[in-house]
Amino acid sequence: MPAIRTDDLTKSYGAVVGIEDVSLTVEAGEVFGYLGPNGAGKTTTIRALLGFISPTSGGGEVLGADITDPAALREARANVGFLPSVMGFPEEVTGQRYLDHQARILGDERRDELLELFDPPLDRAIEEYSTGNLRMLGIVRAFMHDPDLVILDEPTSGLDPLKQSHFNAFIREEAAQGTTVFFSSHVLGEVRQICDRVGILRGGRLATVEPVDELLHRGGKRVRVVTDDPARVGADLEGAVERTVHDGEVQFTYAGDYQALLSHLAGLASVKDVEIAEPPLEDVFLHFYGEEGETDSGRGGDPASSDEPTPATTAASTEGDDV
Amino acid sequence: MSERTAEQPGRPALEIARFDAGRRVKGSLALSVGIAVFALLFTSFFPSVEQIDVEEYTEAMPELFRELFNIQAMTSIEGFLAVEVYQFIWVLLLPLYVAYLGAGIVAGTADADRLDVLLSLPISRSRLLAGKSAALAPVIVLPNLLVPPVVYVGVLALGESIDPVTLLAVHALSIPFFAACGAIGILASVLVMDGDLARRVALGAIFALYLLDSLSVVAEQDWIGAISPMRYYDPTEIMVDGSYDLVGVGALLLLAGGALAIATVRFQRVDAP
Repeated sequence: MPAIRTDDLTKSYGAVVGIEDVSLTVEAGEVFGYLGPNGAGKTTTIRALLGFISPTSGGGEVLGADITDPAALREARANVGFLPSVMGFPEEVTGQRYLDHQARILGDERRDELLELFDPPLDRAIEEYSTGNLRMLGIVRAFMHDPDLVILDEPTSGLDPLKQSHFNAFIREEAAQGTTVFFSSHVLGEVRQICDRVGILRGGRLATVEPVDELLHRGGKRVRVVTDDPARVGADLEGAVERTVHDGEVQFTYAGDYQALLSHLAGLASVKDVEIAEPPLEDVFLHFYGEEGETDSGRGGDPASSDEPTPATTAASTEGDDV
Repeated sequence: MSERTAEQPGRPALEIARFDAGRRVKGSLALSVGIAVFALLFTSFFPSVEQIDVEEYTEAMPELFRELFNIQAMTSIEGFLAVEVYQFIWVLLLPLYVAYLGAGIVAGTADADRLDVLLSLPISRSRLLAGKSAALAPVIVLPNLLVPPVVYVGVLALGESIDPVTLLAVHALSIPFFAACGAIGILASVLVMDGDLARRVALGAIFALYLLDSLSVVAEQDWIGAISPMRYYDPTEIMVDGSYDLVGVGALLLLAGGALAIATVRFQRVDAP
């Protein structure tokens, strides 16, 4: 039984489409990244999965429960942890009192263990919490009843880098223990570190689902070089695309062999600065969809994304030339 | 940490009612103290009002005013309290406040994220609404517990006397009345699903129902006011005439139950904002 399955899940608000024909399957024990720019429909999908809103058409299952059957979904929710993108917790109570309260509904066999990793100031009123502390309280709440499935909506925004790496390690550990994690994000960099597979949502439609290695390989790296001799940089390098030169600064997206890139960079003279980074999500899309992506003018006119945008399952994900 | 026990989850609706009610206790106590002070202040005015020639005073008033405010009852301490304290605070202000709070329980735009967290719990929507509704209890009950002893002592201190049973009755009978007003607020909350707008709708509805009851009597179209909770709770009748409208209590409970039933059916189907 998959942890999450949706079939042509669609939610529209009058003429406005939230999500359209989203079909995906998240296997038990998997860390699934749900990636898309803000407004793509990530939260709408999550809210439909948990029964906050009913689908306009299509449907799905969460832990085997039909999401349009309130009684079945209610039972399933006892085994689901949820971390909302905005922490809507009561403000005047202390974190301690709030967790006690939630524990009486959800259970909390793992609370103490979690509080050692994530330590919001429990004796202070929640209204005094920073975003990072709110997030940590939310993480403890989402995991304390040891759920089988955890749905996290933009979980790391507001966490400092140290906590974020704790969090990433924690998620990997949870997945190793068999917990399924559904993780939404608009940051490719964090998704790549912890997810097994990634679904990319764009304008309310699921553009593709593929293993994260594959996606990164396609997405490439963003390379930036500052030099006195920009003309040579990336000029005849295989795999370098979207090359732009601005004064002494050259930027391009690179999706070729990394050894070749490093040799190329090593052969340059007078490099003043160099940066090899994750591409912004939008660049991944551009690279992904080529011309359709570039001419994309918002939703409504993106037929390309609907009809099997990529043969994700054909190429084996064993190339493993990535980190 | 020591008070925490690894409790088994269960009875989520009760837990939600308990938690939310607990968060309301402080505010409801403050409100009750404020009302008690106000009631004492007004009670202390009674000796000077008592000396007014009410006959002459009311002669000069339009018929409508006499009907609306029952000025003639004011010569007795019961009538005075009924008109100055209960007709105003218990029939209008507190119902407005209870309905206002009721309208906030299914969170609106501002609290949408909070509603998501609640809906993610393993609890049905009907039980969630029941728990949140029950949590209005402190604001309905606490003023009725704290104010009567203060008023009673205040009246004695003035050298007057009041039948404690009458005083208790005017408070006890207000509880179903407040419950009905709270249910109207909850209904507004679920129908509108937008916190700020729902609160305004609830305030407007309570005020409109208040006017409807008063004006339908004046206009001799009594039946129109029958849907108003104010029709079934009349402090002056209770305190001056000593008559308790128990049929009215039934009507109020029916009103509250009806409003909550409609709210529940609607809440089970509606999308969270």
